[in-house]
Amino acid sequence: MRRLPRLILVGVRTHVSYMSRSPIEITFAVLVPLVYATLAVYLFRAAGDPDRLLTASVGAGLMGIWGSVLFGSGGAVQNQRWLGTLETLVVAPTPLALVLLPITLATAVIGTYAMGATLLWGVLLFDVPLDFAHPALFLLAVPVCVLALGMTGLLLAATFVLLRNANALANPLDTPVWLLSGLLVPVTVLPAWTHPVSWALPTTWGARAVHAATSGGDVLTPLLAAAALGAGYALAAVLVLGRVERRARAAATLALT
Amino acid sequence: MFRFLATARLVVVGGAISYRALFNWTTPPMFIGTLLVGPLLQVFFFVFLGRELGVADDRFHLVGNAVLAASASGVYGGTMAVANERRYGTLGAVLLSPRHRIPLWLGRALPYVLNGLFVSAFVLTAASLVLGLPLPAGALAGLLLVLLVAAGACSAFGLALGALGLRFRDVFLVSNVASSVLLLLTGAAVPRDTLPGWMRTAGELLPLTHAADAARGLTAGAGLDAGLLGAELAVGAGWGLLAVVLLGVFERGSRRRATLDTM
Repeated sequence: MRRLPRLILVGVRTHVSYMSRSPIEITFAVLVPLVYATLAVYLFRAAGDPDRLLTASVGAGLMGIWGSVLFGSGGAVQNQRWLGTLETLVVAPTPLALVLLPITLATAVIGTYAMGATLLWGVLLFDVPLDFAHPALFLLAVPVCVLALGMTGLLLAATFVLLRNANALANPLDTPVWLLSGLLVPVTVLPAWTHPVSWALPTTWGARAVHAATSGGDVLTPLLAAAALGAGYALAAVLVLGRVERRARAAATLALT
Repeated sequence: MFRFLATARLVVVGGAISYRALFNWTTPPMFIGTLLVGPLLQVFFFVFLGRELGVADDRFHLVGNAVLAASASGVYGGTMAVANERRYGTLGAVLLSPRHRIPLWLGRALPYVLNGLFVSAFVLTAASLVLGLPLPAGALAGLLLVLLVAAGACSAFGLALGALGLRFRDVFLVSNVASSVLLLLTGAAVPRDTLPGWMRTAGELLPLTHAADAARGLTAGAGLDAGLLGAELAVGAGWGLLAVVLLGVFERGSRRRATLDTM
């Protein structure tokens, strides 16, 4: 039982170190969210809504975390394919889900650079006051949101095992999750038929908790919902991964690029 | 006459062959997901953001983002047209050619112009149908012309970035940043009058800025603004000229240092 936390801890540390040295990962995790943060701040200012500038910065940070998880998880399997290590990972005694979990968690950890960068950017350039409604709960909500995003990423990574070019699915998934999870725009502005989809995403509840900790409201209920849904997604990922792994082995498509 | 035909062949056939070779990783799902569905969903994101904040109406975001959709194939395609030759180890063979460099590189940008035009037209049509914002029939020819010029300017911009691929290793980092800068500064996604003066000035020098304004004028029934179209053409020509100069300078530099194919 002690091996599992150690495996996750060492895996996350290894992959965070690896990704921290990749200029492209840092660009996606820091520069692109800064562009969205700038854009959001100017839009919120133009809308005469300066009180929500912190919400805009936090929202852009969450968008950055999702971007990092999405492309990181989408690329998790593909990268191992390109490196020629996917078969080795599959035949290792450790279940594949536990090998992929640290990768997706590491992408979420790298994504938190986005939150730090957008908050710092807001403070230094736009005088956005760091006036959190619940500062302590914000520090709790962000890691839980990151975990929830990581679990969603794990489910994505599991389905991407079957796809030779996972980016084809990952690229268009960026904006719909921003929208459906209410990372920057509240889900209430979306058509009613999209609401059940939003409720089914752990990212929605994670973002709701982070926004509530920023601007006020109930933090704990959405936080618990994010954690519960995240756990459900992790379980689904393990089940899906078992099936797609067997299918990829049977069809001999595991290493095909 | 023979010389003209040979140059035209280099532009069209050479461009088509390089497109097939350098875009070889593109499968139909990849093309549809990345170049068609992704930008289409981006339109909806900005439309709903615009509705929430009330800064601009649906048509503003629809047209702006449809014009911006040309940037993906223009910027990344233009970059790939040079940088991937180096990555695949074929740059030396290409530059051994005694042919003039302008038609050689122009031909490489041409497929990405057509690609960008197709993507923009698709996004504009599909999003206007879904959002219930019909495009005026009288504006369609003008819109097509504006989108063509925008795609051309974007590809010239991408080629200039790609030229950096002859000198620097990780040029796709530059394309990613450039793509984000286009989103912020061209006014395609955010009204330019909400931005500070220096950002507006920088936007004037980038592709898509004038094309987005011209396309918005057309959909509002104001007719084609020749001034804006001319400005977009001038910006595209400027980036094209810079691309040719940079390609020449970096080619000579990498021959001198024997670093043409070095990664």
